[in-house]
Amino acid sequence: MVGRSKQTQSEAAPRLGHDLIARPRFAAPRNKTMPEMTRLDSGRRRIMLTVVMFAMAFAVVTGRLVVLGMAPGSGGDRLVAIADNVGPIQRRDIVDRNGEVMATDIITASLYADARKVMDAQETARLLAQALPDLDQASLEEKLSGNRAFVWLKRDMTPREQVAVHNLGQPGLAFQREQKRVYPNGSVAAHVLGGVDIDNHGIAGIEHYIDRSDATTGEPLVLSLDLRVQHALQTELQIAVDEFSAIGATGVVLDIHTGEVIAMASLPDFDANDPGSASDRARFNSATLGVYEMGSTFKAFSVAAALNSGRVQLSTEYDAREPIRVSRFTINDYHAQKRFLTVPELFMHSSNIGTAKMVLELGREEHRSFLGQLGLLTRTDIELPESGRPLLPGTWTDVSAMTISYGHGLSVTPLQVVAANATLVNGGFGVQPTFLRRDGAVPRARVLTTETSDAMRALYRLVVERGTGRSADVVGYPVMGKTGTAEKARAGGYARNALLTSFLSAFPANDPKYAMLIMFDEPQATENTYGYATAGWNAAPVTSRVVQRIAPILGLRPVQSWSSPVQSASFATAE
Amino acid sequence: MVDAFLNASGREMSLKDKFFEFNWGFLLLIFAIAAMGLAMLYSVAEGNFDPWASRQAVRFGIGVCVLFVVAFVDIRVWMNLAYPAYGVALALLVGVEFIGFRGMGAQRWIDLGFIQLQPSELMKITLILALARYFHGLTLDQVSRLRFLVVPALMIGAPFYLTLRQPDLGTAMLIAIVGVVLLFMAGLAWRYFIIGGLAAIGAVPVAWGMLHEYQKQRVLTFLDPESDPLGSGYHILQSKIALGSGGVFGKGFMEGTQSHLNFLPEKHTDFIFTMLAEELGLVGGLTLLGLYVMVLMFGLTVGLQTRNQFGRLLAIGITVNFFLYIFINTAMVMGLVPVVGVPLPLVSYGGTAMLTLMLGFGFLMSVYIHRNYEITRNPGAFW
Repeated sequence: MVGRSKQTQSEAAPRLGHDLIARPRFAAPRNKTMPEMTRLDSGRRRIMLTVVMFAMAFAVVTGRLVVLGMAPGSGGDRLVAIADNVGPIQRRDIVDRNGEVMATDIITASLYADARKVMDAQETARLLAQALPDLDQASLEEKLSGNRAFVWLKRDMTPREQVAVHNLGQPGLAFQREQKRVYPNGSVAAHVLGGVDIDNHGIAGIEHYIDRSDATTGEPLVLSLDLRVQHALQTELQIAVDEFSAIGATGVVLDIHTGEVIAMASLPDFDANDPGSASDRARFNSATLGVYEMGSTFKAFSVAAALNSGRVQLSTEYDAREPIRVSRFTINDYHAQKRFLTVPELFMHSSNIGTAKMVLELGREEHRSFLGQLGLLTRTDIELPESGRPLLPGTWTDVSAMTISYGHGLSVTPLQVVAANATLVNGGFGVQPTFLRRDGAVPRARVLTTETSDAMRALYRLVVERGTGRSADVVGYPVMGKTGTAEKARAGGYARNALLTSFLSAFPANDPKYAMLIMFDEPQATENTYGYATAGWNAAPVTSRVVQRIAPILGLRPVQSWSSPVQSASFATAE
Repeated sequence: MVDAFLNASGREMSLKDKFFEFNWGFLLLIFAIAAMGLAMLYSVAEGNFDPWASRQAVRFGIGVCVLFVVAFVDIRVWMNLAYPAYGVALALLVGVEFIGFRGMGAQRWIDLGFIQLQPSELMKITLILALARYFHGLTLDQVSRLRFLVVPALMIGAPFYLTLRQPDLGTAMLIAIVGVVLLFMAGLAWRYFIIGGLAAIGAVPVAWGMLHEYQKQRVLTFLDPESDPLGSGYHILQSKIALGSGGVFGKGFMEGTQSHLNFLPEKHTDFIFTMLAEELGLVGGLTLLGLYVMVLMFGLTVGLQTRNQFGRLLAIGITVNFFLYIFINTAMVMGLVPVVGVPLPLVSYGGTAMLTLMLGFGFLMSVYIHRNYEITRNPGAFW
């Protein structure tokens, strides 16, 4: 280009430069005025100067590009390695059994200051407090004064906040790329997921488990939970808590064959993204950490113990005409029948007297070891660090055996009860509850005889068909289960009006696959319950609602009808 | 035979003449550059036309239409519209500054529906038009006379001051540079540039004293990248890694790890060149630079050939503006100049830059088509 600078605007001019781009077809006029000539000539020289400057600029850029591009081996690899270390290591995602994301990491920026580079701490603090109104100007100023090379000012800012701080243009402020744990489903399964601290270390729930396990990064951790079931359970429980003005509620759904926890809820709950603003009660996991005297639902374990011994048959009768008086205690029946009761009858009518006598006949040590085999006497080993230790009586006397037979004097976690219940109805195999999806075969150890398990299924179904659990049934998905209403233990005794109601169930009754527990903490009577607050009026109907919602999700097929096989055998005589 | 259509006395060109005069090779160049940009945007989105490539293609299409319309309009029409256009752009700049859009953040745009136009971008083009129009009316002697310099000084100073107030130091500097280049091209005597340069150096301490404390700190921050809050050091490091990791032939289309693993910031806008260099290597980078050089050569050639001062200054101004985009952007991603928000022309994702560039190329082509027109220094209205 430069070499052609002396060309004039003659016929030759159009050939200047690129063949591609210069194709004028109009010839230049030949006469022009002198001033115009000089003006254009002057401009021409200056254009050439521009060309030279362009050329120099491009030479610099091109040279730099070649230098960078030709030396990938020398600096490139090392620098890439540095790049990999920016920010903390990413935690593995948590997904439900179907791969739905329950916890993941997003990249955020955290603001820190190098106080040595801050020029005017007061001014910087003032501007920062304006940009980030939740920070305190006085404490900011204190952090920015002095000579500390690194001090956190605000962690995990939103992009909007980052821009606001960036636009201040204050020296000494800088951002650190960080990862922030995000729970897209908010409060759904918050107690199972747990949480992380500000440095992304797990401190509760499955997050804590990830930190203890071998792999904190990499492939997502697959939980046994089904997000859809979890959501249905949590929603129904919340509706019920509002309806019955209860303090709280607990729900567990367990696969009775594998021990996988399909859903687990503890109300009140909290937003997993913001555990700090929740109350202690909301953060408390009542399903695995809380231990409770379960009340009558425990009769299922007593009956199973008796039947499994082989010394008690379904037709065995117990005298429930009079309350039992042992030292200063009196054992009464809530639904007193005041006659001899067969085993199905005492279970169906929830007779404390009959159950206590039955366990005494069985023997307290055999009863105790049976409960031990069901895992009800020791702390259950689960992935969550929040696993409650059962509260046992100081000495296991005959009196404790009698009260424990109907659910008082022994406190266990709801999850333990559901797992033990799974053994009763799954054919008699022990169950180890887990929060991780099980893909391989599950080791099975027999705890009960098949006959006992079959009998328990029939008895459970009887309670729903003719006993206290009638409101738990679902058309198409027969439910079986046992109600339990316990008075809450208070200092010096039991509170008559503070109840813990529960319904321990399994479904579908024709071919049980899932065990469930629904429990309410201090539910109140409403107009629709005719003044009652016992389990048959709250825990049982809520069980029905939950089963209606989750059975189709779990892929269960509705059946026409299914009745307990026990009825004809041992009932006719009793009625 | 073509001579018969036009001579110095000004026989008019028909639309058909203009169609033949239109430089289709230049259009091909523009298409080639835009195609590289679209391919990169397609790659950034992991092999998707959404969200960037498709919208950018639409904008480019609109831009091509703008280019055609502007190119076929007679250069004298643009000359007559130069001052009004400048006035409108200045009014918009004032309007944005003082009346509206002063919401959160730097929302200094006018929404045209398909793009959001920044008045400061429009200002650069209209400033070139207005200065070209002004100097067209002066003889070489008059250019260097002080009293004739008042008007262009105001023309440059007003938008410079307004964009500086926004505050957008980068755009303000670009406006000033384009203005000064036009003064230079118009033939302003060397002494002004020497005196001006010395005065600027001398004024630095004075200006420094007049700055507010926070403005001083902002400048210091700018000069000391380590204290840049967004961590421009990080940007530049990543950018250099990406440039270096491409090697001679690159990692292959859509295979760039630095860019696809999100190490690179703003990879679809200001830092797109690094991604191109990583995936297409040195060869790809040099090819794009080569295409740019050809566009610049065309612009300067038009400047050399044009027989009217207005067209010549317009062509040079637009070419220099284009050059500044390229140089500042590429130098920035290579760490030669600090990080400033300047897009890579025709390649970076963004509506305003695309439309103003194509508008500028429209003017350039109009100058080229009408390059043999001779226009008197003080023409009457031509419509």
